[in-house]
Amino acid sequence: MNRTLMNIIRFVALVTAQVLLINHIRLGGYVHPYIYLIFVMLLPLNTPGWQLLLSGFGIGLVIDLFMGTLGMHAGATTLMAFCRPAIIRIVSGSQKLEMNREPNINQVGFPWFLRYTFVMVLVHNFTYFMLEGFSFHLVGQALLRILISVPVSVFLIIVVMYLFSRDKGKMRDKR
Amino acid sequence: MYNLFRFIQKHHFVILFLVLEVLCVWLLTLTQGYHRQKRINTTNDIVGGVYETGTHIGDYFRLGKINHELAEENALLRRQLAATIDTTTGFQEIVNADTVYNFIPARVINSTVNRPNNYILIDKGSADGIEKDMGVVSSNGIVGIVADVSPHYASVMSLLHSYSTISVRFKNDEEQIATLRWQNTNYRYGIVDGIPTHLRPKPGDTIVTSSYSYIFPENLMAGTVVELIKSPDGTLNQAKIKYATDFASLKNVYVIQHTSLDELELLIQNQQMP
Repeated sequence: MNRTLMNIIRFVALVTAQVLLINHIRLGGYVHPYIYLIFVMLLPLNTPGWQLLLSGFGIGLVIDLFMGTLGMHAGATTLMAFCRPAIIRIVSGSQKLEMNREPNINQVGFPWFLRYTFVMVLVHNFTYFMLEGFSFHLVGQALLRILISVPVSVFLIIVVMYLFSRDKGKMRDKR
Repeated sequence: MYNLFRFIQKHHFVILFLVLEVLCVWLLTLTQGYHRQKRINTTNDIVGGVYETGTHIGDYFRLGKINHELAEENALLRRQLAATIDTTTGFQEIVNADTVYNFIPARVINSTVNRPNNYILIDKGSADGIEKDMGVVSSNGIVGIVADVSPHYASVMSLLHSYSTISVRFKNDEEQIATLRWQNTNYRYGIVDGIPTHLRPKPGDTIVTSSYSYIFPENLMAGTVVELIKSPDGTLNQAKIKYATDFASLKNVYVIQHTSLDELELLIQNQQMP
């Protein structure tokens, strides 16, 4: 399948799932899992920098429009996209990756993907909750929210990856 | 000039990043502050439409529960009606209550409880007669105040909002007015401020809306006292209360239309003139 079309479908599917499904998870009011980050995480490894930044900004802004948090998600995802090349370098170490592919869990293996997800989610959540905390002068609570939300987000992202990655692997073999 | 282009080309990643982040911070500042927050909100028809579709799908799985809630409310209203007619309450009072406040039913299509400032999106808007600053109640208790309206949707500032302060009183004390606000932690509990020391609210005491507001009618359920928090300097006490409304599972609400509000506002305006 065309890579651009694939990404558009993924964008719409992730925003819909985030807004209509995941946002209804409210265990005690502190948990905010964000799975829409998968969109930025799965962009091919050789994606040009400006595309990476605009993708992050774009999906963040759309999520902001739905949540009434103008600027917060966009700011956090843009920073996450900016850090992505560095994070990939640090997480990979000596491991060699195929640059023209997506960092899919099937290609890169579970340990790599778990480290990658954890750092990316941490960067995003830290920025988001700090922006939210500073806007409302509640920094202590923001830290608590980060502590609780990061593991839940990482868990959900890994689950989603396992649910959907098998089909994608098949698709790639056909190509 | 050539050098400038070379510079931009070389560092385009960092420059674009900075530009986008500045844009985000600018967007963020747009939505800060009470009045701005009210104006820029998720009340537009595209966002409302997506949420409404989602709610319709979800509703099929909840039909039983919704039916049950509505049936219970019906039963309650029937009991109240019977009580009103049977007791000594005069006919005149019933008529007055009906003419001053009109209740517009609405469905919750999206809501949050886990943010520092929470909003509820409902499926009725200015086309249905909903205006800013109208009160919103559920069958269990008060919910919030309309913050923003579009033709077919409205966004409601819930009690779970840092700007939300409601004038309340204890049900067993007609005189003393206190203020209900949210303590920004748990969506089940709120704080009542300004309780004089001679009042000794006990756990389980009921908090209702006071008559000092033209947004909510008097005597609407707000919550029940959980514990009294004594002030360290012996002045006004606080009380932790449990909200009557369960904001996490809110589905059917009523928007309160005050039919003689224009008249009332004119009077208040004239009063403030020198």
